Amino acid sequence: MTQQTYDDELDCSGMNCPLPVLKTKMKIDEMTKGAVLLVSTTDPGSCKDMPAWASRVGHKIVDSGEVDGRFLFYVQKGE
Amino acid sequence: MAQSYSAAELYEWIENGASHIYLDVRNEEDHSRFAVEGPHNIEMRNIPYFDFIEAPEQASSHLDPESSVRVICAKEGSAQFVAEVLESLGFIDVSWLEKGIISWGNLLIPKRIPSPDNYQLWQFNRPGKASCSYGLIHADEMMVFDPSRNIGFYSDFATQRDLTITHVFDTHLQADYISGGPNLAKISQAEYIVHEGDFSGSDIEFRPIVDGERIQFNNSSGPDILCTHSPGHTPGSTTFVIDERFMISGDTVFIVSVGRPDLGRKVVEWAKELYRTLKTRICTLPENLIVLPGHYTDWDLESTDDYLILNDFGTVKRMNEDIYEIDDEDQFVEYIIENMREQPEVYDEIRKVNAGFIDPDEDEQDIMDLGKNECAASHMVS
Repeated sequence: MTQQTYDDELDCSGMNCPLPVLKTKMKIDEMTKGAVLLVSTTDPGSCKDMPAWASRVGHKIVDSGEVDGRFLFYVQKGE
Repeated sequence: MAQSYSAAELYEWIENGASHIYLDVRNEEDHSRFAVEGPHNIEMRNIPYFDFIEAPEQASSHLDPESSVRVICAKEGSAQFVAEVLESLGFIDVSWLEKGIISWGNLLIPKRIPSPDNYQLWQFNRPGKASCSYGLIHADEMMVFDPSRNIGFYSDFATQRDLTITHVFDTHLQADYISGGPNLAKISQAEYIVHEGDFSGSDIEFRPIVDGERIQFNNSSGPDILCTHSPGHTPGSTTFVIDERFMISGDTVFIVSVGRPDLGRKVVEWAKELYRTLKTRICTLPENLIVLPGHYTDWDLESTDDYLILNDFGTVKRMNEDIYEIDDEDQFVEYIIENMREQPEVYDEIRKVNAGFIDPDEDEQDIMDLGKNECAASHMVS
């Protein structure tokens, strides 16, 4: 995982499904197209769910990885 | 507020053919890897929960609001969320699975097997794994065979009936599920009885099986257990013949197919061993023995009308003529190789847990232990 720039961030540590995706959706709805949101989670379920959700709705995960037990996703807002 | 339901209720609905729609809201990958299945076909839909976050009306547009919808997810939060979304959209009968798919994966269904009056034999079917463990009860003692990781189930079963678990057997070192054997034996202060062919070098304390020995209840009356070493699926595989009437066949004999001998990656060597076992140790057993297998793959073919996975050995041999009629070792090896398929990667790790070499935390074991077995040498009889 490389160091990415981002426009806003969201900490979903300690939250279980469906909250990480739900909060990410609410946050990214407020952002402009092309902006990047850094989401961190601790729920292993989000590793598959976050990319699956993003690809279904047209957002792009520009990078992701695990750092110190936290899962990081750089989500770029699509159409 | 949408109601919840338990994994046991879920099984009952499937067995009784209830006309629910089962809605799995996990992602497609997890759903395709492992989904709820039971003795009857069910109407299963997979619509990920995040579709209900993004566009609830659209996600629910293919579901009938008048139907009863039973929502399933990984843990329970997303199923509850989707159930509440559906209720808010006017669905009248929606509920969600408590503790998620893992509770389904660990569920055990106890069913009594008809036996002589002086003892009880129980089949504990684990539909999430398509595997079976067994309990043999005489007076106030209980023996357990091939217990799964959900050991609370077996100890509760015994406590509720004022029974003491005295002996815990494993037919072999399991590769497809984490055995509850060592821990159940420990908390029950029972003997853990396995063949050292699978457990030599292990730190787990066990009583090694002697081929041909007869094991009795501590009160020394009641049915006895004849231990027949039947290597092939694994080097230590053992078949337990109870009361000259039943054979707990582990992963050696299934109702459909036999246990695959390639899991140890010594396919030719172990297949030859299995061939010799079948010819000299298994086929010599009486045809009226009732086969009680460790696994099944097809309810329609392998269960009775009472949802027990069993059949008499004569019928089992006839159902699997393509295997039992092979009269040549090389031809048998060829048959095995032709039917070989990949084994799930996690099997190596599960074996290490069962041999006591690694001890992952509970959550990790939950994940490792989820998913259907891949233990049969062939998928279907021809």
